[in-house]
Amino acid sequence: MDINFLIKSMLFLPLVASPIVYLLGRSSVRKGTFLGMSFAKMFTVLIILLEGCLTYFTAKDWIGTSSSIYTNIGTVLIGFDGVSCLMSLIVVILGFCVTLFSFPYMQDEDGEEKFYALLLALIGSIVGLGISQDLFNLWVWFEVMAISTYFLVAFYHEQPASLEAGFKYLTQSAVGSALALFGIAVLFSQTGTVYLPSFLGAFTALDPMLYIGGILIIVGFGVKAALVPLHTWLPDAHSQAPSGISAMLSGIVIEAGLVAMLRIVIVLNEVTHIWGLILLVLGCVNILIGNLMALRQTEVKRLLAYSSIAQVGYMLVGFGVTLYIGFTTGITGAAGGYFHMFTHALMKGLAFLAAGALLYVLHLAKGNHSPLVLDDLNGASKKYPAVALMFSVALLGLGGLPPMAGFMSKWQILVGVAQGQTAWLIAVVIFVGLNSILSLAYYAPIINRMYRHEQSEVVTAGEAVSSWMITPMVVLTIGILLLGVWPSLISKITVPAANIFLSPFGF
Amino acid sequence: MSSNLLIPLIIGVPWLGALIILLDKDRHEKLQHSLAVIISLAAAAAAVLLIPQTSKEVAFSVKMGSAFGNFSFVADGLGVFLTLIATIIGSLAVIFSVNYMHGEEGLGRYYAYVLFFIGAMSGLVLTSNMLLIFFFWEITALCSYGLISFHNDDPKAVRGGIKALIITSVGGVGLLAGALLLFVYTQSYDLNVFLSNPSVLPAKMLAFLGFMFLVAAAAKSAQFPFQTWLPDAMEAPSPISALIHAATMVNAGVYLLARFFPAFAGIPYWKEAVMAVGVLSAFLAAIMALFSNDLKRVLAYSTVSQLGYMFYAIGTGDVFSSQFHLFSHSIFKALLFLGAGAVIHCVGTRDMTKMGGVGKKMPYVQWMFIIGALALAGIPVLNGFWSKELILEAGAATDVKVLYWIMVFVAGLTALYTCRMVWMVFFGEPRSDYHAHRAGAAMKIALAPLAAGALVSWLSIDWFSKLLNSGSLPFHTLKALDLTEMFHEVFTLQTLIPLAVIAVGILCWFFRAKLAGITKLFGWLRYLADHSFGFEGINTGIVKATQNCAEGLRVTQTGILGLNILAVLCTIIILFSLFAIGV
Repeated sequence: MDINFLIKSMLFLPLVASPIVYLLGRSSVRKGTFLGMSFAKMFTVLIILLEGCLTYFTAKDWIGTSSSIYTNIGTVLIGFDGVSCLMSLIVVILGFCVTLFSFPYMQDEDGEEKFYALLLALIGSIVGLGISQDLFNLWVWFEVMAISTYFLVAFYHEQPASLEAGFKYLTQSAVGSALALFGIAVLFSQTGTVYLPSFLGAFTALDPMLYIGGILIIVGFGVKAALVPLHTWLPDAHSQAPSGISAMLSGIVIEAGLVAMLRIVIVLNEVTHIWGLILLVLGCVNILIGNLMALRQTEVKRLLAYSSIAQVGYMLVGFGVTLYIGFTTGITGAAGGYFHMFTHALMKGLAFLAAGALLYVLHLAKGNHSPLVLDDLNGASKKYPAVALMFSVALLGLGGLPPMAGFMSKWQILVGVAQGQTAWLIAVVIFVGLNSILSLAYYAPIINRMYRHEQSEVVTAGEAVSSWMITPMVVLTIGILLLGVWPSLISKITVPAANIFLSPFGF
Repeated sequence: MSSNLLIPLIIGVPWLGALIILLDKDRHEKLQHSLAVIISLAAAAAAVLLIPQTSKEVAFSVKMGSAFGNFSFVADGLGVFLTLIATIIGSLAVIFSVNYMHGEEGLGRYYAYVLFFIGAMSGLVLTSNMLLIFFFWEITALCSYGLISFHNDDPKAVRGGIKALIITSVGGVGLLAGALLLFVYTQSYDLNVFLSNPSVLPAKMLAFLGFMFLVAAAAKSAQFPFQTWLPDAMEAPSPISALIHAATMVNAGVYLLARFFPAFAGIPYWKEAVMAVGVLSAFLAAIMALFSNDLKRVLAYSTVSQLGYMFYAIGTGDVFSSQFHLFSHSIFKALLFLGAGAVIHCVGTRDMTKMGGVGKKMPYVQWMFIIGALALAGIPVLNGFWSKELILEAGAATDVKVLYWIMVFVAGLTALYTCRMVWMVFFGEPRSDYHAHRAGAAMKIALAPLAAGALVSWLSIDWFSKLLNSGSLPFHTLKALDLTEMFHEVFTLQTLIPLAVIAVGILCWFFRAKLAGITKLFGWLRYLADHSFGFEGINTGIVKATQNCAEGLRVTQTGILGLNILAVLCTIIILFSLFAIGV
């Protein structure tokens, strides 16, 4: 198949399917039958699987070429490279798991048809973000992604907590997008073009516009990527959203913000490596703050949300160190950052799905919208052995314990940091290592609670878990364990993605 | 069978077994017990078959790309020896568990963790890839945590498990930093590449590496200043205390130092530091053992103390005697823990003040335990005597005689607390109204080989020396001995000193009534011992400080949208200012 056609289909398929799913589902609501909704759900799964196939065929041709594949839609340049491949892979895997998971979870919810439609739009926009090669389209797809998530976060519009979370997320994210747009405008004003390849050589190290633009970009996209202190929207949004959406948000949406930021910062980094230092320091702050805040949480989903802030910190450390000193030491840090992006998507996705499964059977199935708290988990393992086991795998993986994938991705990041061979970078290694242990202080007690004999009241009264929920969780678990013992499986994608750090656009 | 098949079997079969037992979902208890026993025995058999395959060649290797190195395994003498201990004592602990864990809920989780541990421990000592050493190191920490907190409803057990996980992982950061540095400077994860040329690291880096590894080893082996986790780990079921916290995992620290000794021996003050850690641990732990009334805690302190001997031996430069004591200690300590487990299981309490006269009700266990106790105290001719004497001989040959004398004194203390322990449990009149039933068949079967080992394992020193000196450890110069050489070493006038001190220790117990006045003088020591010489206070302080920090940070999540956005704008201003100043 023609690769250009494949890439364009990869982009447009979910976007075109989204309104179709909405209409199919809507017909169900209007007619009062279930048929349309069932069709809509099946169609969604089909589209995602198809998207997966398209990604596979595109990647098959691209892998091993060690460069990007460029094509045009009209006058707009798009390119498929390592980052695009990674983003598409993550969004397809997570999207598939979340869709299956949501079949029982979102059953009979008011606005169910909008959920799947928006999910497909989200998937499409993330694919689009991955393949954008110029500033404007990058921002457009970033906005489309943000807009899809606004409604998804505030999905339970009858619940005041959800509305509040959605509104805060909307406002803060809009501020971020505006700042990012200002940053793009500043950079455009200096170069006269939005095409990233043209930025090489457009700035000198003393140009104040470079710094103004760069800071606006980092802060603007950083709001979405949950950099501290821009992160304050995240605990509310990720805990109030339906659990499948929490998984998507933590797993790929905040990473998409990071990717968008990196696309631009990589080019700016050619002029001065200070951007790497900023990301490295901010990353360390993220790790510490995320861990300390999670330590005191009693609501499970909020705890996982703070954990996401810390995990983004690990990625920032990996990317930051390659940007700062990569020209002498290679791309291991960035490759580790992308690897951690993938493993975090799997592990945090699994954690949110497991927490969501428990939230559903213990509260939501009874129409109770109260949050899942730690006390609810007591003794859950006897009644829900599979969910408890998989939740434990996810949590231990997030804590960086082998044989889960999180251990290997953190290792790769730290190899990148250690390659700097300076005393303060070794100190960063020790700092990150100690923080990983600190995170165990809030992950491990959850596991201990689940494996108690004495059950909490809600567990005793809980419903059964549907296999629609179990199956995607098993898929994610297998992925986590496989990568934990065979980390080089994903190197063919993460290494080319990281190579862009040192030679954007292949020259 | 060749080693490239055996090594994957030794690691893989227990891991597969763990998965199968988990999948049974606790439906068939008998099946779980039988399967666990068969699998652990299979792993032990594979380990035995590995003995003739000992060599320095890489047995098995998988390429994993540049950031992860080659996942390679070597069946050298040190690795094979420790694998044998892990799998054989592992099988005995599993056999013991058939009785001990009979009817327990969550049996699948128990056996899964145990088998997973056995595979990981074997992997730890058989691999030559630094990443994998850290990989298996952390897996053993995970299994230890899971098994200590096995009874999740008991808050003490959960606290003990998390404490063990955190303290050993903090030490693990030392191993992490060291392993990364090794890779960065040698461009290889293969530790043999490093051992063949340690000077590839600049001297400062080598020293940093050596001390980082010492920190990791001390934390794993519950040495000073990390000794507080091991006594609290006694909440684990006794077979686990025997396997993980006596015979195998805590020896990982000793293994690490022994493995890297050729590279670190030359670092200024490194050997002295190792000796100091060993002596301090041995001394403080012996005192804590003397004052404790909890049977398992006494044994835990005793383990810390004996590991101190092994560290001391490495510090003197005699890696061989440290490994030989590891060998003896694994056997007699596992014996003691399993024996204690039998007593606790049948009597229903860990408190020695409530025991007494158990020997009349459980004669078999009593004699097994006494054999272990004699070995621990260093009474001739049990295995503990020979290995402890070798260490003391090595210590006498060093310049720092003070440390030697302290270790001799500790030998006396060991004899004293061992006597006290045996007496309080098995002899005298029952001090409470306990009901003791006899130990089950599986328990007795597990104890017998260990007791036999404690009596005669020292006779195998020829074979042991051959295993370590077979040329499979090209960078180590081990002062290996055969039987006659060992007699020569031990049967000297020097040996009479520790023997005399041990005799004094034993006599002190039997004349304790006459010494009651002196004992009262040491009341302040009891207070210190019960509070772990202030280290428990340090732990609590760190935990409280972290929690307070976290609680204090909560104000930053105001929930007020305006403030959130203000934070965004402030970030821009701060970053601008930093640039304006810097640029």
